Amino acid sequence: MSRFRILLRQIWTIARRDFVATVFTPTFLIFLLAPVVMGSFGAIGGLGASAASKGADAKTRIVAIVDPARTADIAAFDLRLRRLYRQPEEAPPLLQTLAPAADPAAQARAQFDDKRIDVVAVLYGPLATPHVLYTPTSSRSGNYLALLAEEALRADRSGIAPLSTVTRTVVSRTAPSLRGANASGFFAVFALFFLTLLLAGQVVSAVAEERGNKVIEVLAAAVPLESVFFGKLLGTFGVAVLFLAFWGTLISQASVLMPPSFAAGLAGLTPALGLPVFTLLFFAYFTMAYMLLGAVFLGVGAQAASVREIQLLSLPITLIQVAMFGLGAVALSRPDSWISTFAAIFPLSSPYYMAGRAAQSGSLGIHLLALAWQALWVAIFIAVGVRAFRRGVLQSGSGTFRWKRRRASSDKLVDTGVS
Amino acid sequence: MRQELAVDAHGLVKLFGGRRVVDGVDISVPKGAIYGVLGPNGAGKTTTLRMLLGIIEPDAGERTLLGHNRPREVSDRVGYLPEERGLYPAMRAKDAIAFMGALRGLDLKTGRKRAVTLLEAAGLGHAVDTRIRKLSKGMAQLVQLLGSVVHQPDLLVLDEPFSGLDPVNQERLEALILAERDRGATVLFSTHVMAHAERLCDRLAIIAGGKRRFEGTVGEARAMLPMRALYTPTRDESGVAAHLPQDAEHVGDGWRFTVPDDGVERVLSTLIAAGHGISGLSIERPSLHDVFVKVVGRAALEDMK
Repeated sequence: MSRFRILLRQIWTIARRDFVATVFTPTFLIFLLAPVVMGSFGAIGGLGASAASKGADAKTRIVAIVDPARTADIAAFDLRLRRLYRQPEEAPPLLQTLAPAADPAAQARAQFDDKRIDVVAVLYGPLATPHVLYTPTSSRSGNYLALLAEEALRADRSGIAPLSTVTRTVVSRTAPSLRGANASGFFAVFALFFLTLLLAGQVVSAVAEERGNKVIEVLAAAVPLESVFFGKLLGTFGVAVLFLAFWGTLISQASVLMPPSFAAGLAGLTPALGLPVFTLLFFAYFTMAYMLLGAVFLGVGAQAASVREIQLLSLPITLIQVAMFGLGAVALSRPDSWISTFAAIFPLSSPYYMAGRAAQSGSLGIHLLALAWQALWVAIFIAVGVRAFRRGVLQSGSGTFRWKRRRASSDKLVDTGVS
Repeated sequence: MRQELAVDAHGLVKLFGGRRVVDGVDISVPKGAIYGVLGPNGAGKTTTLRMLLGIIEPDAGERTLLGHNRPREVSDRVGYLPEERGLYPAMRAKDAIAFMGALRGLDLKTGRKRAVTLLEAAGLGHAVDTRIRKLSKGMAQLVQLLGSVVHQPDLLVLDEPFSGLDPVNQERLEALILAERDRGATVLFSTHVMAHAERLCDRLAIIAGGKRRFEGTVGEARAMLPMRALYTPTRDESGVAAHLPQDAEHVGDGWRFTVPDDGVERVLSTLIAAGHGISGLSIERPSLHDVFVKVVGRAALEDMK
């Protein structure tokens, strides 16, 4: 058997063990459903905030102090204008009409002192020259009241009935909209960040496990550490792919179960390259991001002597990951700036930015170039990671950081060519 | 005719932090032999074994393993039990053994079959499907040992295999080592417990302070020290000492002294002529333990100098 085949066999043995040990456990179900748990927490928080907001909205009003003869007109125009708003929370607060008192200006000011309701804007005076009072954050409500007055006066001239008869036809886009492409770009960056954050950390768990039960010594004795490194990387990558396949399938079928309006919204998130090509590119960029981060996690994880040290060391990597997500997202919003060039070239941010770009831009050539560039960096990261892994793993003893021990030592674990 | 060697190492050197942990060690293990590497804690035994196996590279020196100067190339023909024991706690015993075999090129199906046979032979048939975390420390250690022989290696390297085992399991392990030798494998193991080495080893090396201090058979090791005689006179009389060699020391009712080069007969004749009877006389061969203490003690003195 050739050396390459032996290496592949050893990698496969370790990868399969890690994959099976992770997947065939009850805890994997919890891990698989982690997005549901996280989503549930988000939904509970959102519902709480929404309920609190709705409670406050229900007691918020705009007030029109107008001649009782105009009350019906104002109410009719209010109803018509509110149809323009898709969601009730997007519309101005509910309208309340009052008949003018002896001093309408004082009456208008007094509305803001009402303790039973929150009045945010008040219109008073003749409709041709009305006064609008509003709180500092309610200029839109003030504008809305002014528009109601304007509409009421226009109706005096042309009548309340609509002047035009409209024929409405729903049209589907043949090309992705700019807005949809931008949104799907950001969504791609976020999804990649979320997935790598959740999944690349698994590599650290794999190292922590070996550290805890001292199996690394057995593995190091039986197979080259390069095989151990690749095996661990591929085993956890297999878990990540399974996770991705599960959620990918679920999400692709979810539109069937969703309300038509939501499904239509999702359809608007069409990537520029089309969904099949984008899916392939997204998977390719995910692979690159995972391999880059996995190599860093494995290399750094091997320098620690305990699980606690591994956790400490993985924190800065996670922070770098967050920074790369931020860089990718900012670069997407400025496509032709130096930031986007930097984000595309810098190896750690490149997969994030380019995944977003795959949603935004229709050119495929740039992606092939980016993937080749990232593959080069994956090879470099893995080569350095293997070296760090080898140096970290093959030293045992005190609980101090490996690199500290190594600094105090002239030990050469690399091949000296003696054999 | 030159004997075929399973392991042949010359001048192995390893530096840690500028300190020579292994300092020019030579080891030659004949094929089919049981070879012991003896030494106190920190002598450099583990580092030597790791270098022999190619887990770490020596800073100087040469070694061949099963005829190859790149030990990694024959790793599938080698079984290794490291000093730091480690198994995946969630694995079943038979799967753990099969996995270790798979690392050395044995397919999992065959590995599982052999694991069952090995476990049954080692008296652990009841633990075939038991998870490692539920086994006692000694049982888990035996499982790991079985994992290092499941692929039927030509060379079995065991680092401190007896540590942590109770007497029953130590006996099982000795039987397993002998069975491996009978199968045709070469066994190389390190220990600082002399009794096992004395019972098992065809040849041995004593390492202390990173240097090899002795190499040879158990008999040759014992021959390094003179035999001792324990003489008990018929009566405990003063004046006996005058007829005994100078190093004689009073021990209980008798006297212990080094047997002179020309034998013990002349001393006995002198004692009888002087009227001291012989109630008892025993000739004691030095044990490996005595040799070890002597060699290691001398090495420590040399290192101090």
